[in-house]
Amino acid sequence: MNMQTTSRLTAAETALVEAFGAQIGELPGNGAVIGTRDRLLDELKKAGLPTRRIEAWHYTDLKNLLRSVPDAALVSAIDPIAPLVEGSKVLSILQGAADAKAAVDGVEIALFKDRLADGSAVAGLTALDKDDAIGRINGSFVRDGYAITVPANAELEAPIELQALHAAGQVHTRFPVSFGAASRATIIERHRSVTEDAAFVSSISDITLEDGADITWIILQTQGAADTHLGQIRVQLGTDAKLRLFVINAGGKLVRQELRIDVVGEGAELTLRGVNLLGAESHTDVTLVLGHNVPNTNSTEIIRNVVFDRANGVFQGMIRVAPDAQKTDAKMSCNTLLLTDDGGFSAKPELEIFADDVVCGHGATVADIESSHLFYLMARGVPENKARAMLVNAFVAEIVEELEEEKLVEALEGVISAWLEKHA
Amino acid sequence: MAAVQETIDQVRLIDVDQYKYGFETVIEVDKAPKGLSEEIIRFISAKKQEPDWMLEWRLDAYRRWLTMEEPTWARVEYPKIDFNDLYYYAAPKSTAGPKSLEEVDPELLKVYEKLGIPLREQEILAGVETPRVAVDAVFDSVSVVTTFKKELQKAGVIFMSISEAIREHPELIKKYLGSVVPTSDNFYATLNAAVFTDGSFVFVPKGVRCPMELSTYFRINEKNTGQFERTLIIAEEGSYVSYLEGCTAPQRDENQLHAAVVELIALDDAEIKYSTVQNWYPGDAQGKGGIYNFVTKRGDCRGARSKISWTQVETGSAITWKYPSCILRGDDSRGEFYSIAVSNGYQQIDSGTKMIHLGKNTSSRIISKGISAGNSNNTYRGQVSINRRASNARNFTNCDSLLIGDQCGAHTVPYIDVKNASAQIEHEATTSKISEDQKFYVMQRGIPEEEAIALIVNGFVKDVIQQLPMEFAVEAQKLIGISLEGSVG
Repeated sequence: MNMQTTSRLTAAETALVEAFGAQIGELPGNGAVIGTRDRLLDELKKAGLPTRRIEAWHYTDLKNLLRSVPDAALVSAIDPIAPLVEGSKVLSILQGAADAKAAVDGVEIALFKDRLADGSAVAGLTALDKDDAIGRINGSFVRDGYAITVPANAELEAPIELQALHAAGQVHTRFPVSFGAASRATIIERHRSVTEDAAFVSSISDITLEDGADITWIILQTQGAADTHLGQIRVQLGTDAKLRLFVINAGGKLVRQELRIDVVGEGAELTLRGVNLLGAESHTDVTLVLGHNVPNTNSTEIIRNVVFDRANGVFQGMIRVAPDAQKTDAKMSCNTLLLTDDGGFSAKPELEIFADDVVCGHGATVADIESSHLFYLMARGVPENKARAMLVNAFVAEIVEELEEEKLVEALEGVISAWLEKHA
Repeated sequence: MAAVQETIDQVRLIDVDQYKYGFETVIEVDKAPKGLSEEIIRFISAKKQEPDWMLEWRLDAYRRWLTMEEPTWARVEYPKIDFNDLYYYAAPKSTAGPKSLEEVDPELLKVYEKLGIPLREQEILAGVETPRVAVDAVFDSVSVVTTFKKELQKAGVIFMSISEAIREHPELIKKYLGSVVPTSDNFYATLNAAVFTDGSFVFVPKGVRCPMELSTYFRINEKNTGQFERTLIIAEEGSYVSYLEGCTAPQRDENQLHAAVVELIALDDAEIKYSTVQNWYPGDAQGKGGIYNFVTKRGDCRGARSKISWTQVETGSAITWKYPSCILRGDDSRGEFYSIAVSNGYQQIDSGTKMIHLGKNTSSRIISKGISAGNSNNTYRGQVSINRRASNARNFTNCDSLLIGDQCGAHTVPYIDVKNASAQIEHEATTSKISEDQKFYVMQRGIPEEEAIALIVNGFVKDVIQQLPMEFAVEAQKLIGISLEGSVG
């Protein structure tokens, strides 16, 4: 019984393979980088895009959902837009190309394409595991991005905005960022479309927090209704490092946001907050794989989802506690407002625990708006649609407010309100 | 708390590698040759004097099975099973079926006596008047004796071995067998469909409340035999039945395979309560030997307002792969799953449930308590799925894990799929160890550490123990005590 069969490539898989063939001559990279690209594409070709039979992709059958991939052809120039928060230092990546002139005081910034050209980026290009389709796609195709080094003890007053603007076509970006010991900074990673045409985007942020770094990282994804966004953030948290990671998805047609976080230093702390606003026929998947690998670390994760129309949402949250990671305190919760019978939500909060002296828990809820809450507002003369909007807004605003920095909270609330007004 | 005291006594008495039920009975056994083929299936079918349609059903399943692959998604590891190196049929040799207990091989009766099976149901708990229990004992695949058949018959309840039922009630078998777990369901269920040798059949007619608890004990005895039993329970409109299943197996060096299928069908307003205490041999302290337990259990709430409740206490087996599920098809139907899974030594448990909400106003409740000790791994894997048309569905899930020792693992893998806005789903899971505060509180009242832990563990699983029929509750507490021996203190 030989079950090994060579499966035929789907249209999207074929498009990726062909795009690679067409681009390979001009993709930046030295011999080692090109070799790695070849290998990753080969793996992708052999494994195909993941299906629901692959546990990590159980709810996002990429092979089936990704019907086509737009041509790689780049379109005309795009202009940067105003930053989300006034006064931010903007590092723009327009249609996948970083700005050679970009600079932020006190921070080392290099173009990722230069790192590819000199081969120093090669180690980071690899896939994290055999099911890491995003790592493979991005590693094969990545052209540019910023490599950022925040020196030890630096305290950046203004946020840095990584402004990734996409038109149509394929865009593959990468942001290796390292935060020195005891540094403090706020980074806003923003992905936005400027046209209605389909874009296929893969983006990986590879971030390291040295001992005692205290960082806020915000991912704001507001791509177009025809776009595919495959995002991944790889995090290493050092001793006593603190990361507040906010992930907001309010756009895209097919979105997979992978958060691969490894806590490797004692006393480290992770705060993850997520808001996913799903409408139209979109499919949005947030997948967290969090490893507590050393003793005495904490994490809390709260994910809030609102589902309208024919949208489907997914949250997979895996917390792994290694055998030596005693005194881990990890709490995860995923709450969903499912406001439609045409859409759906799937949650898989997982715990994998190998240490005994830990406190770990997760909770997941899925429900409609509580009728008593609605009644309370309507009894006070608020019309139903307005009352609903208020309750939905409150459900997600609560999360954003945890950011505390007023300007940032205001800006994100603005994005959320605008989205809700359009979809509710 | 007499039961708690008993647990503690058991813990003192028995080491993890001194499996209490690890004796072997020497009686003559009628065996089919090793291996699996169409001939073996024909042999089994002929031995069972089955009609042709049944043989065809088996062969069809076998042919499907040949095209299937062993599932690998569960968090269990074991060397590949050579399905051709097993015996698929072993029956105690007897010429005619025994008419009464007196006619049964006394060796067999001794085995049951050692196990404490209440064949003669009077004094299950000394001084306590207990409800009657009817037992359909399965000894290496063949149902040996069925008690209380007559009394059950009076009530109209059919309780017999499935082989008898195939001969005597073919219309019911044809209608219901495989209607909940189809032959193509999964690798092990398909294998079972091809080679099952015995099991129980229960039919409770319309409006009848089964006058006693029905009970089956399974034992694997002969070396290298797979135990493939098949149970089918049908509760007609407005009926009620409570079914108890308990398992023990003698000590063996080689791993033995157990792949059972249980199908429950509840029609309008019917209720089925299915309780299991599973205590197959878990392997020795080094992880050698033990039973592989790959079981498919599924209940179908086919009628409106029907209810199916699973309660399980899993303390045995080297590997457990088991997900008793409910398909909530009827409107207003209800599914329940209460589970205690205790793993010690090198045991691996991957167990949980599925609640598939299809009808309107359906509700389900899942309470799972996992306790891992030693070098074991204990996984809860559960699915709650709300169909698009299943309006007003309600689910509550609670799974708690307790870790004893730093070499074991506790894992939780819930899948929640909701496609209807009116559903209300709540899931919570926690993992922790016994807190020092709790232990201190108990110990400073003069209770030694080991007893303190046993007390706390019994408190941890109380929600589930309460769901068991009383005589089982006592046995379950004993088993938990035995299973945790050597891991505490």
